[in-house]
Amino acid sequence: MHAESAGVRASTYGDLYLARRADLLAWSRKYSIWPFNFGLSCCYVEMATSITSKYDIARFGSEIIRGSPREADLMVVAGTVFVKMAPLVLHMYEQMMEPRWVICMGSCAGSGGMYDIYSVVQGVDTFLPVDVYVQGCPPSPDAFIRGLVLLGEAVASEKRPLSWLVGPQGVVRSAKPSLRDAMRPERQKQTDLRSPDGL
Amino acid sequence: MDQGVLRELADRFGQAAVLAQPTRDGIPTAWVSSELLAAVLRYLKSSPKGAYPMLWDITAIDERTRVHREGQPPSDFTVVYHLLSLERNEDVRIKVALSGEHPSIGSVTTVYSNADWYEREVWDMFGITFDGHPHPFRILMPPWWEGHPLRKEHPARATEMGPFQMSSEDAARMLSMMEFRPEDWGMKRESQEHEFMFLNFGPQHPSTHGVLRFVTQLDGEEIVDVVPEIGFHHRGAEKMGERQSWHTYIPYTDRIDYLGGVLNNFPYVLAVETLAGITVPDRAKVIRIMMAEIFRIISHLVYFGTFTADIGQMSMVFWMFTDRERAFDIVEAVTGGRMHPAWFRIGGVAQDLPSGWDTMVRDFCAYMHKRLRDYDASVMKNRMVKARMVGIGTVSAQEALEWGATGPFLRGSGVSYDIRKNRPYGGYDMFQFDVPTAAHGDSYDRLAVHVEEMHQSLRIIEQCLAGMPAGPYKSDHPLATPPRKERTMHDIETLINHFLGVSWGPVIPPGEATFVTEGSKGNHGYYLVSDGGTMSYRTRIRTPSFAHIQMVPMMSRGLTVPDLVTILGSIDYVLADLDR
Repeated sequence: MHAESAGVRASTYGDLYLARRADLLAWSRKYSIWPFNFGLSCCYVEMATSITSKYDIARFGSEIIRGSPREADLMVVAGTVFVKMAPLVLHMYEQMMEPRWVICMGSCAGSGGMYDIYSVVQGVDTFLPVDVYVQGCPPSPDAFIRGLVLLGEAVASEKRPLSWLVGPQGVVRSAKPSLRDAMRPERQKQTDLRSPDGL
Repeated sequence: MDQGVLRELADRFGQAAVLAQPTRDGIPTAWVSSELLAAVLRYLKSSPKGAYPMLWDITAIDERTRVHREGQPPSDFTVVYHLLSLERNEDVRIKVALSGEHPSIGSVTTVYSNADWYEREVWDMFGITFDGHPHPFRILMPPWWEGHPLRKEHPARATEMGPFQMSSEDAARMLSMMEFRPEDWGMKRESQEHEFMFLNFGPQHPSTHGVLRFVTQLDGEEIVDVVPEIGFHHRGAEKMGERQSWHTYIPYTDRIDYLGGVLNNFPYVLAVETLAGITVPDRAKVIRIMMAEIFRIISHLVYFGTFTADIGQMSMVFWMFTDRERAFDIVEAVTGGRMHPAWFRIGGVAQDLPSGWDTMVRDFCAYMHKRLRDYDASVMKNRMVKARMVGIGTVSAQEALEWGATGPFLRGSGVSYDIRKNRPYGGYDMFQFDVPTAAHGDSYDRLAVHVEEMHQSLRIIEQCLAGMPAGPYKSDHPLATPPRKERTMHDIETLINHFLGVSWGPVIPPGEATFVTEGSKGNHGYYLVSDGGTMSYRTRIRTPSFAHIQMVPMMSRGLTVPDLVTILGSIDYVLADLDR
């Protein structure tokens, strides 16, 4: 059992876990993010690859792919957001139940990418709230999984009201960290590049 | 090239009625008047000296700003009909000059059935009206769109058109415009006995393999008719060609058939090389073919896995994606990329093979042979699979030709036509391989052809492995891009050429060329028009999926909805290849 999340602690009595109810709910949400089986273009193939054996997003609690937006927690906008498709994307997002999250997968969904062209919306965040951006064209399945793990961390730290009667209302989300900044010291250590002539 | 067909047309319709145009690719090209067009096409379709049974493509060119039109009649918009003859193993291009801002021309849907979608596309993209067309609606752009994107005055960039804004009300209005009205398609809402049910399928549905919509008219379980709606994946790839340099367009070709990787680079670079007159060294040829065949296996594995998943055999897709990862290990080692390596270059490939590539490829071939034998046992001989596929979506050879089917689809219907064999390009004449065909043209046969093609691809890869020639991996022609660097610091001419080649990109001499190759799903063709610039004047991409999805209504009438899923799975299409 992965009980490392904030607020959920193993006791000294073996399998007994102690937590506040809000933390336990956040922790369960983190490990049961069900993606919506929805893809727009090339990125979807890499997203589907992440479900298969070599990558296997079941390891992070996301193995249940839902065909209906009403049963899904996560919309992965995997691919180019076309002008003709945009109203449908919004329509499907609106059909998803709270709590719901959006991963924007790939350069096209993030900014239009290499398609600065009449039929492409320059970034899905012009009409949807995005939680995690994954870059790449298309991002490798590893990159997508990293995005999913990042989302899981954000979900675990989210504060949501326990009911519409108890406690403060509204969702408190943590700030979105920039991975580029976080990774910079590590990347700066890389000074020797492998030659492309060998394997 | 034998221009016999042009002489034949001149004999039949008069010397004055047919104007021949020389092209770089040697495809016989004739200008005829719009009044004669239908008669010319009808004659060619059943020409006694070798029929042209397939309308391979219809497209148009906005000629209004083109400079180099030597020897061509005046024209504002040119409609181009591209026909294919198996008997002659030759193509012919018929061009019609139109004048005016919004010209019109007669529809040829009565001559070739598949002209339907092609004419709709030309109307949508250029604003050319086809008189007598049964469904003169937009096909790729949404119904609320204004303008025709491939006209020269239409902006290319989204950032030229102002920020995209869409409120919930806008979205609702757009959705209501996309609502299906059976009356528009001449469909009745009820028969004499009872009402029909209209079942919407897509654009978001796991079995459509992407954003594609079908509206089915059902009488109980039975499909009376289907209307496909496409264009949800239209990414403006052809307009993009008018804005990118010849070299920087290569990555966009990867994303046409996005499962096929370098298979898409192939026709494009060959078309540019035809325009520029570049010959490619042997090593580059064999490297290209090896990578293309690896990608053919990758693409066929996705098709195989998802098709079996569509009919409920869930485990195969997991096995096949694992195999695909093994192939991607090679692709990654050689090109550094996965799905979209953009690795072919004008005049060769991006870099030489890394040391140790041969071991990887050899291991992969040995592994794949065994896996394919396993799949034979678990899928091809599986009686549940056969029960779902045999006799479903049957297409006869004649129908396949009439509707422009190519590739494994056409071969599944019993026509042995493979561009690699019939018109060897890029070095395929150096290799031994068979062209698998099947007899019945049903879903099972289409799958069986794909499976056998993987065996043949492995055979070609093994020959590449055994006979990889030494030598340069890129031509030293001055237009090969990026230009070779070795001598740039030694003489000023080479330095200037290199500088221009990497900053502006090559300037390709004016002319027109089509190059057709055998992709994983059918024929990929790039029709490039150069006006002597650093960018293409017109890039036309002829894709197999467009032709094949047009056949879905014909294939599924009288069957049930689960059969429609089988038919879609059996076609092997990909959305970017459909809508570009």
